[in-house]
Amino acid sequence: MRLIKLFALVLYILLAFLITGCSTPVPLTPKFPTAPATLLEGCPKKLETIEGDSVTIVDFTKSVVKNYGTYHECAAKYDSWIDWYQTQKKLWDESN
Amino acid sequence: MWILDFLPDFVTHLILIAGIVGTIAGFVLGFVPFVRTYQLPIQIISIILLSFGLYLEGGLANEAVWQLKVKEVEAKIAQTEVKSQEENVKIVERIVTKTEFVRTKGQDIIKYVDREVIKDNEVIKYVENCPAIPQVILKSINDAATMPHEAAK
Repeated sequence: MRLIKLFALVLYILLAFLITGCSTPVPLTPKFPTAPATLLEGCPKKLETIEGDSVTIVDFTKSVVKNYGTYHECAAKYDSWIDWYQTQKKLWDESN
Repeated sequence: MWILDFLPDFVTHLILIAGIVGTIAGFVLGFVPFVRTYQLPIQIISIILLSFGLYLEGGLANEAVWQLKVKEVEAKIAQTEVKSQEENVKIVERIVTKTEFVRTKGQDIIKYVDREVIKDNEVIKYVENCPAIPQVILKSINDAATMPHEAAK
């Protein structure tokens, strides 16, 4: 009888041994980098159109110039996104 | 090990010390009457305590190493976040400069058209011969300008 009690005690302690091995999660959560607000502004939804019955070549040229300007602004933003991604990725890789 | 989260460190040390003392008592001090009476239970419990104590001490040492690593990684992450913010500032500065340049350049070109191009003899002649651009050309240009809108629908 005493042996059974002893066996039960040993078993109980062994089980306690087993559950002590359970791990706890490590509270490490690296934040996803925030992109600058300027980059989050989208490109203009509308390019300039030319309206009117008597549009001269000069008006036409001005409209084209404005639309080229819009393109260049958007291209600059797009290039900045690439720049941002490459920089952040490099930093991320270095930290891991 | 979760057990180490609520078990104070001194309890771990106490378990180990009790295990060591018990083991010595159970195996060496057999000549003491009290120990002799309970020798087997003392030996078994002491061995269990010693094993458990060693196990917990190992866990404690391992936990300390991990905590150190966590601190290192936290410091690295904080450093990366600072660098990331610095890079963001640089990128914003670059985009603002570029955008400003593009806008200024565009305005300058339009001013140049208003100031110089309309006075150009070739242009004046062209406007005299062709006072208005045909609507069909304007329509094509406007269609091209509104193309992404159509795609979005």
